[in-house]
Parts: sequence; structure tokens; C-alpha cells
Amino acid sequence: MTRTYRWALSLVLLAVVLVMISPILWLVSSSLKSSADMASFPPTWWPSQPRFENYTEAITSVNFLGAAQNSLTIAFISTTLTTLSSAWVGFGFARLTAPGKKQLFVVLLATMMLPGIVTLVPTYLIFAKLHMVNTYWPWVAWGLGGSAFLIFLFRQFFAGIPREMEEAAIIDGCGYVGIFWRIFLPQSWPVIAASVILSFTHAWGDFVGPAMFLSQDSTTLAVAMATGYVNDKGLPMNNLVAAGAVMYVLPVLILFLFMQRRFVSGFSTSGIK
Amino acid sequence: MSSALTDVRRSTVAEAAVERPDRKKKPPTLRKARTFYLFVAPWVLGFVGLTVFPLGYAFWLSLTDSDGLSPRTHFVGFQNYVDIFHDPLTLSSLAKTGMFALVTVPLSILAGLLLAVMVNQPIRARGLYRALIYLPAVVPPVGAALTFRLIFDRDAGAANGILSTLGANPITWLVDPNVRYVLYALVLWGCGGSMIISLAGLQDIPRELLEAAQVDGASYWQSFTRITIPLLSPVILFQVITGMIGSLQSFAPLLLSSGSLSGAGAVPQGNYLYMIHVFAQYFSASRFGYASAMLWLLFAVILLVTLLIIKVSARTVFYTVEPEGTSK
Repeated sequence: MTRTYRWALSLVLLAVVLVMISPILWLVSSSLKSSADMASFPPTWWPSQPRFENYTEAITSVNFLGAAQNSLTIAFISTTLTTLSSAWVGFGFARLTAPGKKQLFVVLLATMMLPGIVTLVPTYLIFAKLHMVNTYWPWVAWGLGGSAFLIFLFRQFFAGIPREMEEAAIIDGCGYVGIFWRIFLPQSWPVIAASVILSFTHAWGDFVGPAMFLSQDSTTLAVAMATGYVNDKGLPMNNLVAAGAVMYVLPVLILFLFMQRRFVSGFSTSGIK
Repeated sequence: MSSALTDVRRSTVAEAAVERPDRKKKPPTLRKARTFYLFVAPWVLGFVGLTVFPLGYAFWLSLTDSDGLSPRTHFVGFQNYVDIFHDPLTLSSLAKTGMFALVTVPLSILAGLLLAVMVNQPIRARGLYRALIYLPAVVPPVGAALTFRLIFDRDAGAANGILSTLGANPITWLVDPNVRYVLYALVLWGCGGSMIISLAGLQDIPRELLEAAQVDGASYWQSFTRITIPLLSPVILFQVITGMIGSLQSFAPLLLSSGSLSGAGAVPQGNYLYMIHVFAQYFSASRFGYASAMLWLLFAVILLVTLLIIKVSARTVFYTVEPEGTSK
């Protein structure tokens, strides 16, 4: 490859990166503007006097901390339960045999293609009938059911562990629950990491779930931010919206920057082919 | 691993099992089968309770005139399904959703593929390029939609700021007819997700194949179209299918507008996708029966589209090995 070619490619990529990153820069810039900056046209590119009070106001003018706590609780419930349950089921598909296993596995793969939202609305109606709306029980149920994609990931990983491991354990009198818990699960930390990241970002980002299943005062950050900040005239206060959005997005971005290899491998080990 | 060795090990296990009458009342395969069912039970229960049963419940609702509140509902047969095909708003929202999918899915995949090829070249700091291009794809949907609302704000938005520095007139982006382009831009901003999947596919292509082609005098373009694309076709097919499923059930316009389920009816016409109409029917109009019929129609459409894609692609998609998972 020639040097000029390399330079040209780097320039193009640099331009792409700028385009991709500029919305985030605009969000940060907006979060530091005063309401006067927000009203001026043409717009202020970067506020001459950054207004950091936007952040404290974004926290105090809506129930930011309460919503953040709800987001964290739901993310924690879904992440732990989904990961554990998916590993458990994935172990079954990888190491045990029974009549009907093949058919069940095909059903599992097919559910990955199911449109989630089609089942979500009727699920809401059922939970409403059971008076479990506005509780965390729906997330417990979803978590315990596991995720088809993560079950598949765990199954692929567990299927690659040498058989000698479990046979030695069986000779020592260890049951399959023990084999799963003491031998297989501790080895699967790369998949656990991918699973934790994927379920956390999913739960943190989910909008329809909490919008349907939780009332406005016990909702998550995703919903609280989407409805936004309005002043007493009902007009949106966009600098506070931006500050709130920055704080909402930041945990996911930090998680990504520290764990980007895991993010990427979570998809590339999915065995698409 | 030699099979003789494993056979020996297996027989030792079987003997060990026979020697322990306290644990082994039943033949080992039966116990193994019961253990299997114990392990897959959480998923089976979840699948039945949270997917099959809700789908069935929605189907039952779709045959009634339920409004979700009054206890008395009437069985109306397939009337709701008949009504769908006489409701111009529902039909136009379906057409718009099809258009949305046909525009955004190919564009995202193409952009992702192009970027994947670029960041797969041996250049400096390509890891950084990959991470930064992928970054928007991990921004939660609500955060992304809010950001685009701020960029395309009529007065304070960056888009009109750029237009005014170029001497052009400002555009009101967030209303009809322009708002659909904001939606397309919002979706394309996440094409880094497609890039990562294509990149993983590119890295799976054996280097020897490309090197052999080079030795035989193939140009870069030739080896790209004759080797890279065919070997990448399963990955592209996967993206087409998941992309179609995802965009047919998209409700992103809701986040771009009011940001509340009850405000679904206020979404501008250009972005009035099928799911937006479903939300409006459920949460504003309380037409539970009709909305459930709409959900079932969507389910059927997605199923048909998926099968159609698989059928059409059967001759063009190239597998080096048997698809994994179905064997074993």
C-alpha cells in the first residue's frame, strides 16, 4: 500500500469520525449554554461562558436522582438475573441431552427473530391484570426467562470446554448443578462480561418497557429524559435537556470506553455464520 | 482428541455410576434428560409465559371490541382485521414503515460495510477509528433522539447554523415534510453497529485466499467482489434480516417528537410509522381490540418478510460451512 493512499484513507476516516462525534460535541456544548445562548440565531457554537449550573438545575428541577436510582435498580435486576439464567440454560443446551433438545434449540434460535415489541404490549396488559404494573416484578420475570441471544453465546462457549472436566467431576460425585456452578460458570467470565455489558446497556437504554410498566413518578432516567424539561409556560428548556442527557448517556459511554474490546467481541463471537 | 481415549473415559464413568447404587436408581440417560429439562426450564417457562401466552392473549383481544376499561367486551370475529384494510391511516403508516425500512436498512449496511473495509486496512490508530465510529451506536436511543432534536432545532440548532454560515435560509426540520430526513439521519448515525458486525466477518476471511488471488494477478476490486463479498454474504444476510425486523417495529419517531406514549398521535405525518399508530390506538384511543389486530398483522408481515428474504437469498448466500447450531 502506498503512502499517499494511506494518508488519503486516514483523512477520510478522520472526516467520518468528526461527523460521527460532532452530535455528541453539540450535546455537550448545548448543555453549557445559558438560555440567552439558546435563543440566539445564528446559534452559539460554543458558549463563551460555560454555564455549569445547568447540571445542578437538571438534577433538581426534575426527580433526576430518583429516576437514576430506578434505572440502576432495574439495570441491576435485569443484568444479574439475565446473565445467570442465560448461563444456566446455555449450560443445559451445551452439555446435556434429552429427547426434544434439538427442536427446543431451533425454537430458541427462532425466538431471536421474534419482534419483541409485538409481545411487549400484550405482556403489559397481562401484568396490568395481575396488578404487577408499577413494580419491578416484570423485570424479574424477564430476567429469569433469560435472553435467547445470551443463551446462545453461553451455549457456544460451554460447548467448547473439554469433556474431561465434567467427567472428572462426576467421578468425584459432583452433580450437574455443581459442575455448572463450580467448574463451568467460573471459566466463562469473557461471556459473563459480554452479557453484563449487553444487558446493562439494554436495560439502561430501554424506553418502552418503563414507559409502559412504570408510572411517571417511579420511572427510569430514559423516560424522564425523553419527556424532558419544561418551564412553567410548558416550553422545553433545551440547555437543561442537554445537561440531563449528558448525565444519562455518560455511564454507558464510560462503560464502552473502558470495555470496548468486550463490546466488540460480544458481537463477533455470536457465531453469525 | 482420539476417540479411543474418550471411549475409555466414558466407560469408566458408566462403571463408576453403576457402582454407586445410592445415586443411580435410574439409567444415566434418563437422569441426564431430567437434568436437561431442569436446566432449560427457566427459558421454556419464560418463553411460554412472556411470549406465547401474550401473543395468544393479543390474538384473543384482536377478536373483540375491548377498550381495556369496560368489563363487557364483545366478540366481533375478524372485524378488526377487516377494519385495518379500510383504515387509510393504518395503511399509509404501513406503507411509510416499509419505505423507512427500504431506505435505512440498505443504507446502514452499505455504510457499515464501507467503513468496515476502511478500518480493516493496515493504517495507524485504526483501533481508535473503530471505537469512535462505533461510539454513536452505544448511545441509548433516548439520548440519541434528544441530541438530534437539539441539532435540528429551528433556532438554536447546529444544522441551521451551518446553513446560515453558507448563506442559505434556515429550515424547520422537526415538522413535515423535513422531519423524515432527521429520522433517517438519526438511524444512519448508528451505522457503526453494522460496521462492527461486517468487520468481524471481514476478519474471519482466510488471508491465504486473498493472497492467492493477488498472486494470480487479481485487482483489489476483483478480489473484493469475487472473494470478500461472497464470503461476507451470510453476515450481510444476517444484517438484512435483523435490520428489517428492527425497522418494521421502530418507534424512534416517538422519541424524536413528544417522548411519551400517550403523545404518539402528535407525531408528524412524515414519521407516522406503524408502531406509532399502534401506540396511538392503545394509549390515546383505547381501541385495544383494533390495536391488538394491528400487532398481529405486524407479526405476520415481519414473519413473511423474513421468510421471503431467506428464500430469495438462498441462491446467493454462500456458506463455507454448514450453519452452526442446527447440527450437533
